[in-house]
Amino acid sequence: MKQAIYGLVLYIFLMLPPVITVTESIMVVHMHMQMPLLVLVGMLFTPYLKQIFPGFFNKWNDNGIPGIVLFIIVICYWMMLPRTMDEALTVPAVEVFKFISLPFLAGIPLRDSWKKLNSFGKNTVFVSLTILCGVMAWVYIAAPNQLCNNYIVIEQKALGWTFLITGLCILIYFIQSLFVDESLYEEEPSTENS
Amino acid sequence: MIKNKNLLSLLIVIVFGFVLFFVGTDGFRAYTAETARTLKLTEEMPEFPNVTLEDSKERVYSFSEFEGKYVMLTFIYTACTDVCPELEMNLAQVYNQVPEKYIGEDIIFLSISFDPERDDAATLEKYRFFFNADGDTWRMARIGDQEELNELLEAFGVIVIPDDNGNFTHNSAFYLVNPQGKLQEVMDYQEIDEAARKVNRILEKEVGDQS
Repeated sequence: MKQAIYGLVLYIFLMLPPVITVTESIMVVHMHMQMPLLVLVGMLFTPYLKQIFPGFFNKWNDNGIPGIVLFIIVICYWMMLPRTMDEALTVPAVEVFKFISLPFLAGIPLRDSWKKLNSFGKNTVFVSLTILCGVMAWVYIAAPNQLCNNYIVIEQKALGWTFLITGLCILIYFIQSLFVDESLYEEEPSTENS
Repeated sequence: MIKNKNLLSLLIVIVFGFVLFFVGTDGFRAYTAETARTLKLTEEMPEFPNVTLEDSKERVYSFSEFEGKYVMLTFIYTACTDVCPELEMNLAQVYNQVPEKYIGEDIIFLSISFDPERDDAATLEKYRFFFNADGDTWRMARIGDQEELNELLEAFGVIVIPDDNGNFTHNSAFYLVNPQGKLQEVMDYQEIDEAARKVNRILEKEVGDQS
């Protein structure tokens, strides 16, 4: 419940017109701050929604695969199509879709699915995200002309480099996860209570 | 009893994804806002608003002056140091590839400045000279009235972003307006030969229809 309230506060904060103006005026902030924060909003809502609709999540996303595929599709839509960022600025319906799709169709399915995925599924997600970031980094850094009409080329290049850094971070996290067994370092909640 | 519907929901998700990408890219045809813009323009064929032009020879006339002729347009500002000179050089090459019999008779070339404050007749005259435009069959003009200019830029989807140094970031293309004053084609300004071929084909067809 507490998380859902934090999520709601963050959601409303991101929707405030001055906050929207600031976050969308800089390309990197738009892509790598506003959008991930909207996904985070959805993740914060998840436990509360699972409490209210337990059947829905068990029935439709039992093995976590539909959820994670939905997450990947929505993320790809916003990351890979340069026109979506332009249209978020110029077409109100697309802006509304951004504020709905990222929390509810990416954040919620991600958190619900993650615990249900086996390690192969998780590794696949890490590898695909790394590749995706790498490809987008290459596209945005190498593109000689403007991909987004509302952002200039120098901002586009900056976005490319942040994609590269994001991709590297995911890769480093993924590689360490192969060698480090986190469960050795985590306290079991059940033993703590007993 | 809850029956698992993993497969069904996965299917729904994939169909949703397909529809999302299909709608989002106009049927996998436009991945950037710029291609979407040109696609939409050629489908909608917006009318050229009747603005008042002031050209490099200090003549003042409205756009209806060109009625009955094709007009090949570009949008520029003369203080521009990167894209505009390239755009105009390419336009000059298209101009040279159009058979002389059509020039002035069936087609007019026009470069419109979106920086009316600095691009007065004298500046435009100098610019015209650089590109060997004759000022009659290829004119350089500004639109003095900012409101009219904005209306035109909006109708043709030209996005102009001013920066602090008096420069502008803007999208560039060749625009072909038909004799009825409607936008018929938006062409890639870097594909000179393709643009010239397209213009010649349209002119041949038009003249053929008249005879």
